[in-house]
Amino acid sequence: MAEEKAGRFPDPHEFQVPPELEGWQEMYPSHHLFSPDRAEWEKGQFWYQDKIHAPEPMPPLDLIFQEAWQIALSQYTTRVFCIPPAQGIAQRMVGCYMYICAIAPPPEEVIGEKAQLFEKRVFYVFEHYDELWDKWLTKFKALGEEMAAVEVPKELPKFVPEDQVLPAPTGCYVSYDLIECFDKLVNLIFKGWQFHFEMLNLTYLAYLMFADVARKLFPGISESAIGKMVAGAYVSMFRPEEELCRLARLAHDSRGVADILRGDASVDDKNKKLSTIPDGKAWLEEYSKATDPWFYVSCGSGWLHYEGSWITMPEIPYGYIKGYVERLENGEPIERSLDEIDKQRDQIVKEYMALIKTDEDKKSFDDAYNTIRTIYRYAEDHLFWVEHWFHTIWFQKIRELSTLLVKNDMLDNVDDIFMFNRYEIPELLTELATSWALGVDIPTRAGYYKATAQKRKKILEAAANWNAIPALGVPPEEVAEPFTVMLWGITTDKVKEWLKGMEGGPAAVDVSEVKGFASSAGVVEGPARVLKRLKEIVDLQPGEILVCPSTNPSWAPVFTKIKATVTDIGGLTSHAAIVCREYGVPSVTGTGLATQVIKTGDIIRVDGDTGVVNIVKRAG
Amino acid sequence: MEQCTEDFTYYSGTPRLRLCAGDEVKRCSKDPIKESQMDYILNFEKVDKGSLALVGGKNASLGEMIKVGIRVPPGFAVTTASYLSFITETGINDKIYNILAEVNPDNVESLNNAAAEVGNLISSTSMSEDLRAAIEEGYLKLCEKCLVEVVPVAVRSSATAEDLPTASFAGQQETYLWVQGASQVGESVQKCWASLFTPRAISYRIKNNFPHEKVLISVGVQKMVNSKAAGVMFTINPTDGDPSKVVIEGSWGLGETVVSGSVNPDKFVVDKVLMEASEKTISNKHIECIFDPGKGEVVNADVDPNMQDACCMEDEEITALVKIGKEIEAHYGRPMDIEWAIDKDMPFPENMFIVQARPETVWSQRKAESVIGKKTGKQLLMEQAMKRIKIPG
Repeated sequence: MAEEKAGRFPDPHEFQVPPELEGWQEMYPSHHLFSPDRAEWEKGQFWYQDKIHAPEPMPPLDLIFQEAWQIALSQYTTRVFCIPPAQGIAQRMVGCYMYICAIAPPPEEVIGEKAQLFEKRVFYVFEHYDELWDKWLTKFKALGEEMAAVEVPKELPKFVPEDQVLPAPTGCYVSYDLIECFDKLVNLIFKGWQFHFEMLNLTYLAYLMFADVARKLFPGISESAIGKMVAGAYVSMFRPEEELCRLARLAHDSRGVADILRGDASVDDKNKKLSTIPDGKAWLEEYSKATDPWFYVSCGSGWLHYEGSWITMPEIPYGYIKGYVERLENGEPIERSLDEIDKQRDQIVKEYMALIKTDEDKKSFDDAYNTIRTIYRYAEDHLFWVEHWFHTIWFQKIRELSTLLVKNDMLDNVDDIFMFNRYEIPELLTELATSWALGVDIPTRAGYYKATAQKRKKILEAAANWNAIPALGVPPEEVAEPFTVMLWGITTDKVKEWLKGMEGGPAAVDVSEVKGFASSAGVVEGPARVLKRLKEIVDLQPGEILVCPSTNPSWAPVFTKIKATVTDIGGLTSHAAIVCREYGVPSVTGTGLATQVIKTGDIIRVDGDTGVVNIVKRAG
Repeated sequence: MEQCTEDFTYYSGTPRLRLCAGDEVKRCSKDPIKESQMDYILNFEKVDKGSLALVGGKNASLGEMIKVGIRVPPGFAVTTASYLSFITETGINDKIYNILAEVNPDNVESLNNAAAEVGNLISSTSMSEDLRAAIEEGYLKLCEKCLVEVVPVAVRSSATAEDLPTASFAGQQETYLWVQGASQVGESVQKCWASLFTPRAISYRIKNNFPHEKVLISVGVQKMVNSKAAGVMFTINPTDGDPSKVVIEGSWGLGETVVSGSVNPDKFVVDKVLMEASEKTISNKHIECIFDPGKGEVVNADVDPNMQDACCMEDEEITALVKIGKEIEAHYGRPMDIEWAIDKDMPFPENMFIVQARPETVWSQRKAESVIGKKTGKQLLMEQAMKRIKIPG
């Protein structure tokens, strides 16, 4: 079976990660590891690295979002809306990177049963989308507020306060609150992620349907054209940036405010100065009004604790505002006209429609279009509320909890809590609660936790320097799972490219051309800035071409200063592609290996029309 | 002109054709030359799809485009009336039809002999003075208009049937490039007339019971574009029938290398709606068709090695051309097959010219069947839900 061997990736059970990653398995729950007891099934699947949700080595606690989506995404496909031939997506960790697999279709009789349920349940959602969305948002906001209201103990008092004992004991105290608050936060994340997929699978399915109809009518139609027809302008994900524009205009129209904001002082100094003048005070008030919910936006994807948010890193929104104020002073426009975007989209749809020959096809195209337009807003709106707003609240709460742990000498740094997975943290909290309960001068195993955190940070660092293998196992004959195609952009060509990369080994750095999806049109040449870690975004200079594993809509303001974007991963409507198109920034997504092949300073040519990126000149 | 040519019968046998009354009035007020001369030639500005019988498909199409503001090099049509007058006044018509009556369409030699004989007859017989003067007048006016003493022109046959989408007639597409001077133009016109009787055309007509007497020919005399680059453009992707694409093929020099397939042209596929290029293929273009002043004719010359792999069009030229293609398609209401040329010396966008446009035949002739069929959004969604994407191992 030599032939079969040639067309496959290494067996996940035999695959060895570099020795410096030793101990990585301890960071993750047992169900996330390849194991001998599931070997037969695991060997038969195709596992590819999920660079969208886990582009970097996964900190143990951050895995909670992945655990939550594995369940939620899969259940909507398999048990709730019942997309007939599709099953869920399974996850495994290998050397701190996450690999996922779209499970092969179920037996025919199950497909038949699911088809009946699908028809009944899914069509209902499409028919009632608007009211369902209103309900969803109300429900989700309430959930976020519930999370924000979770009380995290600020301290472990020497003795519980009097009012908790007299006149009647409350009956449970901080030792319980400590353990309970974390459980609540975990449960809320799982619940939020259940809500997250309420309509998303259907949205993606509808998108694929519309894309298929469009391609049948216009065989050469680009992804970018389909994306432009489907995208909405008034979506929550763009609100944070709109708020920045509004604040910039307000500053521009006020006395003295713009001057302060334009300066190079720290955010604290700027705020101090602002609070000394009347217009400044008014501006700060407006800023604080915009903060919740709109600045609860991650500086990255929302998936990783260290990305930071506009709340934790106010220098980011202040930096954007500074840029906008300067542009206003130069008489340049800062807002995009959303009406214009809407109008343009309608015009594009009209023009394609006019090219269709028969009335029947016109009608079907129109029907398909209305179907996707009914629900597509969900894809764009849920993102802000879940990955950004909700996650930002969670990180805030977890850090509150960790502050207590640091105060009680269980950990060295607040962010060390993320070095423990969600099953380990209750253990840590129980230990602290116990030692507090046991009395004064009770030793804890703080030393073990501190050492473990240190050790794991080193493993994650080593993992960051390892170019993880793109895939493991046997490529499948067919894929039915909508996310696999749409979000991760897994196609025959992609798999072939990966296989090709395997043959060439890591020496593939000599490549001078990479190909991907032509996701936003235009051709430009310029110096590359390779950002493997999201936090490196501060290095980005105006006029550079951003090369990264994947981009995020919360980076929106940087799209006004970069020339183009190239990503490793990103499917048909990856978060990045939408924004690139809105800004008219050329973009090639899903290249697979751009961040490996291209180096910062290389002069590259990005052709967003054809999806080709060339290295014109290597950096000296 | 449309209204008055509807009942126009081009094979009526009389050279004094029933032309549009309005046309005559305009003519008289503008130019008091003899009416009979004006029947022989018509400026492109004065023709349109209604003039088909008088000026043939190619010329009519040029007039149509001028009417909607497409940049077409100036020129005039030598009408079918000229041809008819030529064969009747010289009396060679009877001779021609007698020769053709004897032809055995299944015998190659018989066909070849008849074609040669008729061709010879047409080329060697002198035109009447009126006709000659009319063509000369037309040419000199063109020179005047172009502000050139001796303007180089392309002389092309423009058949009354061959270019029609429904009747792909086996007429020869005779073309003479870089013709200079009135007498050379006259000779080329006669050669075009002669091309009506190639062996293939004769045999085709006999086999399809189409009387030779009913076939007329017009000739177009059009200013040459001294082109930097030229080629063809389809307002549909001829490969897959995608109606949202314009496909351009171009190469250095005159468009003949592209049309004849003697070079691998550069190829651009552009989306009509987004105006974005989905494909840009730059080929090695080793030869170009250019005018050789020494030889006094067009030749295939070697392209400067530095230019062979260079793109023959600027981005703005591609965009402008696509826009023109869309306009032409909108005017005709069908996908079109267009020849274009970019002038060497003029500035953009005045340098963009359309030299020919005809309906695309391959995809247009397919029956307009629905691709998707009558399906609701729900049905389409269900189909999608049942789909599995094959990933061949």
